Amino acid sequence: MSKEYAHPEMLVSTDWVDKNRSQTDAIRIVESDEDVLLYETGHVPEAVKIDWTNDLNDPVIRDYINAERFEQVCSQNGIGNDTTVVFYGDKNNWWACYAFWVFKLFGHEKCLIMNGGRGKWQAEGRPMPSDKPTYPAKPYKVKNPNPGIRAFQDEVLEHIKTKKPLVDVRSPGEFKGEITHMPDYPQEGVLRGGHIPGASSVPWARAANEDGTFKSREDLEKIYQQEQGLKPNDDVIAYCRIGERSSHTWFVLKYLLGFEKVRNYDGSWTEWGNSVRVPIEKGEPVKA
Amino acid sequence: MTKMDEIAELFKSVDDETRMHLLLDFAKKLPALPEKFRAARDAGLNRVPECMTPVFLFVDRENGHPRVYVDVAEEAPTVKGLLSIVLTACNEGGVTNADAIPNDLLNRLGLDGLIRMNRVVGLSAIIGRIKRQITAINAEIESPGTSKN
Repeated sequence: MSKEYAHPEMLVSTDWVDKNRSQTDAIRIVESDEDVLLYETGHVPEAVKIDWTNDLNDPVIRDYINAERFEQVCSQNGIGNDTTVVFYGDKNNWWACYAFWVFKLFGHEKCLIMNGGRGKWQAEGRPMPSDKPTYPAKPYKVKNPNPGIRAFQDEVLEHIKTKKPLVDVRSPGEFKGEITHMPDYPQEGVLRGGHIPGASSVPWARAANEDGTFKSREDLEKIYQQEQGLKPNDDVIAYCRIGERSSHTWFVLKYLLGFEKVRNYDGSWTEWGNSVRVPIEKGEPVKA
Repeated sequence: MTKMDEIAELFKSVDDETRMHLLLDFAKKLPALPEKFRAARDAGLNRVPECMTPVFLFVDRENGHPRVYVDVAEEAPTVKGLLSIVLTACNEGGVTNADAIPNDLLNRLGLDGLIRMNRVVGLSAIIGRIKRQITAINAEIESPGTSKN
């Protein structure tokens, strides 16, 4: 008998979604993908689309939308304060976890992840029509925002002074500082390559199985606790390039392994690697 | 007006939502990779390494003109759509010079606000490769034997 996740209630199976998806008054299924057009090619029949860029990011300043805008996004998708929102998406639920994290930031209570995401739903041959459902608007009020799950740069600087753990979830090439930016798109780039000093390197997708589901608790403990030496009572900050891949790791540490204090640094490398005089390390991770 | 300009004008003339639907239409009509390149693709050759999505790129020449062929994973309709535009501009528009594909393609199509961050990085890498290969093919056409591409 394998050990259960710390919060198994945060996950639902594709089967559960298939059986419960018609309860559109109580449940809203939300697809969040990396590819902005993927939802339009077909999706879980009752699902709405919430795009990480166009719906959740402020179009002008580098931040999330404000509470008022978030209320509109929820309201227009028929999400009320007591609606159970089930997130799923492409790439092992990478963007689904990001949308989940933003919903938690605004204090939405009932958020779930469909384990295995879009890939699993599709592989199982479940229905994927392309027509877009609409739902009657519901009133929504942001009540208990949860800024404690977000880390800012000054907090990360404090964090490294006190030698608390950081998890860099980017690829090994990004971690070592071999990759910086692409030609022709300097605005997408970062001036310096490397990682935040002392960070451990655990590419985010190591937490996922081939079919996009999360690895078992034992396997996750092996990676984050035995291999990387993290402890459930540690104060941990996860980061990547813009905070999306690290929300997958944030979900794993917080809900599957039950870590008490995990934050996502969404400024991530595109902020750190462009900042003046912040410390940077290059090369292989230093073993704890 | 070039084929590229025509497409850009069409994209610029519509609202954001219609623009995304136009892109999806282009994605749907991306031609399948010709038979002659499939063995190379299956062997993993010509994969664009900068793109997280599996994208395979082949640039060939026909009747003295460069022709571009790609194979893109189904789960990446945005990449499919953009490459379908590039292919239409090149193959139907008879592009003979890499300069005909603008470096700021996304801006030209009015898609820069809708497609951001790491999506753009991979896309710019593919477009860069297509342009370099067209230039190499042209060099080969002009002075046979000087280019390996």
